Amino acid sequence: MIPNHAGYYGQFGGSFVPEVLRPALMELNDAFQAFKKNRTYQAKYLTDLQDYAGRPTPLYFAENLTHHYGGGRIYLKREDLCHTGAHKINNTLGQILLAQYMGKKRIIAETGAGQHGVATATVAVRAGLECCIYMGVEDMKRQQPNVDRMTMLGAEVRPVSAGTGTLKDATNEALRDWIATSKTTHYIMGSVVGPHPFPLIVRHFQKVIGEEVLRQIKRKENRAPDILIACVGGGSNALGLFYPMLPMLQIEMIGVEAGGCGLDTGKHAASLTQGDLGIFHGMKSYFLQDYDGQIKVAHSLSAGLDYPGVGPEHSFLHHTKRVTYVTVTDEEALKAAFLLCKTEGIIPALESAHALAILEKIAPHTDEKTLIVVNLSGRGDKDMLVYSHHYHKKDHHE
Amino acid sequence: MNKTLHEVIARKKAVGDFLLSLYITAGYPHLKDTPQIILELDKAGVDFIELGIPFSDPLADGPVIQKASQIALNNGFRISHTFEILKEVRQQSSIPILLMSYLNPIYHYGIETFLNQAHIWGANGLIIPDLPLEERGLFTPFLDKYALDLIYLLPPNAPDERLHAIDDASTSFVYVVAYAGVTGRENSDPIHILPFLQTLKKSLTHPFLVGFGIHSHQDIAFYSRYADGVIIGSAFIKYLEKVTEKNIPKKTREFVHALTSPPA
Ligand SMILES: Cc1ncc(COP(=O)(O)O)c(C=O)c1O
Repeated sequence: MIPNHAGYYGQFGGSFVPEVLRPALMELNDAFQAFKKNRTYQAKYLTDLQDYAGRPTPLYFAENLTHHYGGGRIYLKREDLCHTGAHKINNTLGQILLAQYMGKKRIIAETGAGQHGVATATVAVRAGLECCIYMGVEDMKRQQPNVDRMTMLGAEVRPVSAGTGTLKDATNEALRDWIATSKTTHYIMGSVVGPHPFPLIVRHFQKVIGEEVLRQIKRKENRAPDILIACVGGGSNALGLFYPMLPMLQIEMIGVEAGGCGLDTGKHAASLTQGDLGIFHGMKSYFLQDYDGQIKVAHSLSAGLDYPGVGPEHSFLHHTKRVTYVTVTDEEALKAAFLLCKTEGIIPALESAHALAILEKIAPHTDEKTLIVVNLSGRGDKDMLVYSHHYHKKDHHE
Repeated sequence: MNKTLHEVIARKKAVGDFLLSLYITAGYPHLKDTPQIILELDKAGVDFIELGIPFSDPLADGPVIQKASQIALNNGFRISHTFEILKEVRQQSSIPILLMSYLNPIYHYGIETFLNQAHIWGANGLIIPDLPLEERGLFTPFLDKYALDLIYLLPPNAPDERLHAIDDASTSFVYVVAYAGVTGRENSDPIHILPFLQTLKKSLTHPFLVGFGIHSHQDIAFYSRYADGVIIGSAFIKYLEKVTEKNIPKKTREFVHALTSPPA
């Protein structure tokens, strides 16, 4: 069984938190186990996914993009069409029910790109629960539209200026809040990271992505896919896609980390491929860290991937080589975003553009029978500032 | 188990005196201040020291210690400085020193290598806020070998069975956290934990010290009635913010004096 009772995926994971958080994690684990067996809550979750989030999301055959690369058939899993614009809502819809099941009165969350923050604010306001979102000041600048959305949705956005003012620091602050408030507050973790049982819970609520893909591609192609591609920040959209197909060993899986300005510059967020084994944010996993085990600053143009760690199950899948992890630079991601826009009329989130960017290295070398599924984890509305800046810069040069 | 630490605790308990422990962030306010601060604390009558190893992301700490850690790191603090500090202090003092560190720096250093160095340079024990009881096996195989005590934190929301498990695992004293929260809360009213303290007095087989948010003579007077001692951190760190480099010895003594003697 993965994870084991202590929350370990092989040697990765666990629950490294101050004793004060232990009761909350035990309560959460018990509630989650009961929740999975509770018919009323299950039915409510499934209805919410369908009628509120808009699932199942389409599996779209990207014909123009396929022709562009001249290789295998490229399908896009359209998580960008979910309510609030990314896969994050799958998780928050589940966790808000958990919070209600536990009788919690207040919701907190960390956010990087603001997508998880928006998805949390959305479900909290609907449930009538107080909501507080921690967000790094740097991320607030680059994802301003999402700050406005959270505020309009009634959430309090607390700016975090400590450290680098990005996702790592927002997570620290959310954990500190929870240390003091866990009796009445549920922390909706935004990715498959943190102490057990968070990675397990988030995977559970995201695995609907892969389950749908399997059904949809069977209907369209009458078989399973050959290659799965997803971007990896903490790793929730990737694990959501991969998890149901992990036992199907013939399927190749590729996780794309943010290569930032390039690995050799040191300015990147490639925790798995460049980091060291460590213990942080409640989990044993790979982290970007210096010679003294101090956590390093991650860099990515994409706020959602700008995190110096990665979920423990990804560390396990990397270690066992079940999944191949690669990196894509800021520039490559931008290029892929503009290409998708031009060929398919879809503006992807910068995070998802990382997954798209690796197609250039893979698709042309596959034959036309190969079935490739890319997780389009979110839409690009929130990134328009970055895109338009890039657009104008390009205009200027050309 | 560490003999010096046990002796200090036993000596104080024998005369019914309470223990006073102070926390200082290594490398703060300036990189080279720490040995001198520790020596002054010793002279001023402090019973033992918690030497905080600065970490980039101190999750269990409030703004005061966060800032001190960042300053120390900006000062160029390296893990190896910890051992230099110990070496310097040990030339003049045997005051027990507990190293307080988050798990990752020690894990990265290599747990046994770190403990070995801690032993060589004269540390007496360890406090690791993000090490859960279940994972103590990472450390316990080496504690006897290197004569170190591992101190566990006990928060007020711990259920009974945890209280006993922590007591059982402890070898010298239990570090009781005064409230559910991060270090340095300013307006924590100790009266709220009175029932908890009374339970502890009955249930714990080990001495216990209370820490988090303690900052005045009044606090100490309160806790010394129920606990075996107190640990003071953020209040001292904050006080040091305003102290100039050459005033550190004098001001350190004054701080301890103000805590231990009743206000005039
Ligand atoms: C659209 C989108 N994709 C991906 C991510 C990265 O998170 P994860 O790796 O958990 O899917 C984010 C995070 O904010 C996001 O907004």
